[in-house]
Amino acid sequence: MIPLLSNLAPPVLAALLALTGAGKLFGRGTALLAAGTVLVRVLGDARRAGLVLRAVGGAELAVAAALLAGPAAGLPALVPGAATAGLGAAFTAYLGYARATAPESSCGCSARAEGPIGPRTFARAGAVLLGGVAAAGADASWWSQAASRPVGSALVVAAAAALLFVVSADLDRSWLLPLRRLRIRLFGHPLATGAAGRVPVEASVQLLESSLAWQAASPIVRSSLLDHWDDEGWRVLRFSGVYEEAVRGARPVSVLFALDLAASIDTAPSPAVRVSVIDDDTEEVVPLDLLAAAGRRSALPLAN
Amino acid sequence: MSHNQQPARRGGLDRRRFLTTAALGGATIVGASALGGLDADAAFAEPMPSLDPAISQSAFAEGRITAIKGSVLEVAGSYGDHHLIQMTNATSVWKLRPTTAAEIGVGDGLYARGVDMPDGTIAADAVWVNIVNLYCTVRGIAKDRLHLAHGDHNHAVVGRIVPETTTASYLGGALTPDLSRLRIGQSAQVLGAWRPEDDTVDIARVTVGH
Repeated sequence: MIPLLSNLAPPVLAALLALTGAGKLFGRGTALLAAGTVLVRVLGDARRAGLVLRAVGGAELAVAAALLAGPAAGLPALVPGAATAGLGAAFTAYLGYARATAPESSCGCSARAEGPIGPRTFARAGAVLLGGVAAAGADASWWSQAASRPVGSALVVAAAAALLFVVSADLDRSWLLPLRRLRIRLFGHPLATGAAGRVPVEASVQLLESSLAWQAASPIVRSSLLDHWDDEGWRVLRFSGVYEEAVRGARPVSVLFALDLAASIDTAPSPAVRVSVIDDDTEEVVPLDLLAAAGRRSALPLAN
Repeated sequence: MSHNQQPARRGGLDRRRFLTTAALGGATIVGASALGGLDADAAFAEPMPSLDPAISQSAFAEGRITAIKGSVLEVAGSYGDHHLIQMTNATSVWKLRPTTAAEIGVGDGLYARGVDMPDGTIAADAVWVNIVNLYCTVRGIAKDRLHLAHGDHNHAVVGRIVPETTTASYLGGALTPDLSRLRIGQSAQVLGAWRPEDDTVDIARVTVGH
């Protein structure tokens, strides 16, 4: 089993390094990506960070080529294996440093935006390190191994590929989301439909805000929703406000709206809202023609 | 069903009974309007000139609360500015839902709209605590949470579903407690309250198909 892993590690690692390396070296977004990494602060310059990221991509491609073609060129397995392990160790150290000093920075690992450094980026760097160590111990070329034990080799490569998929956040879209969709299709939607017919307070506020009553009262209302309660089929919404009175000046008031408890913008396109304004100090109803105050204008006739 | 949100001066139920009677005695206004609201969404709107002629301009402040002294919140703004926010009996407080000033803690983020006072404080008309407004993609759905990806870097955000509170709106429809029509891969606007303790978001409202 161990020789099988050692002998097959090179092509798997080569595929991973070729993908991420080519993305970094030739990717159009590399400079932009570099700007989000901790390299900028280490090197003091976003342009240099971009160059370094491209150089790392080039090194990854070179190591990938050595892993694939090394046995044919007579290179001892130790050389590309050690190089890979070196890359893995460097990645891990870089991630550790970035995580400790700038946890929100992007990792820049695969030349795609994949968000802040997390367990998966560490797992991938660790996999490169361990894979390199394994590849260094190879005693046969990967193609002769694959030819001598095709079934076992296919299984090992498939398992390794699956592992790399799992630790690559930017590949989620291709496997994780379809898997989650399938689970919902098979086992049902995990979220409830909610109590049928219950209109949440937010829906009443939404209806109120689309009403003429709200428009008419808006010169007085100052707060957001202050309090609400239900009473005998009505939902009462309380706001605070200020009403300018000719004699006594500005008065703090409560603006009360009462709506049908079961109404929402789906069921009541033209809501009926009761409005009253209560003086907070005297607790008296302020007699007020809101529509006149708001300067009501009759609507233009709708085209049929 | 109803729960007390504001310490009443006359004692809870009596006062509400009185206010209900007053509310139902008010004039009925029928009709729709296109005017925008002052609800949680409005915290992100530009401070609008007040329609009240006595007040020419609303004051607006945002930042993290560094200290609470009595009814004054000390706020360190995101751009190095400082604000003193004076809470009053008439100040509305939103923290996932309409609540009271007692729910506000040091370390919370805050948006406030109010009126500049001569002593340099802002008398708050409304404050929104830890409010976040995310444009994101639904990446996973579980019993008590949504997994969301947000922004250019696909930052993973966990959105918690709060029973009796989280609502959804589909295709511009009314807000409903029915969350079963959310789908993986949908673009969603999530309005919620950030939880500083574990860096997740309690979802107040998720809007899809807008």
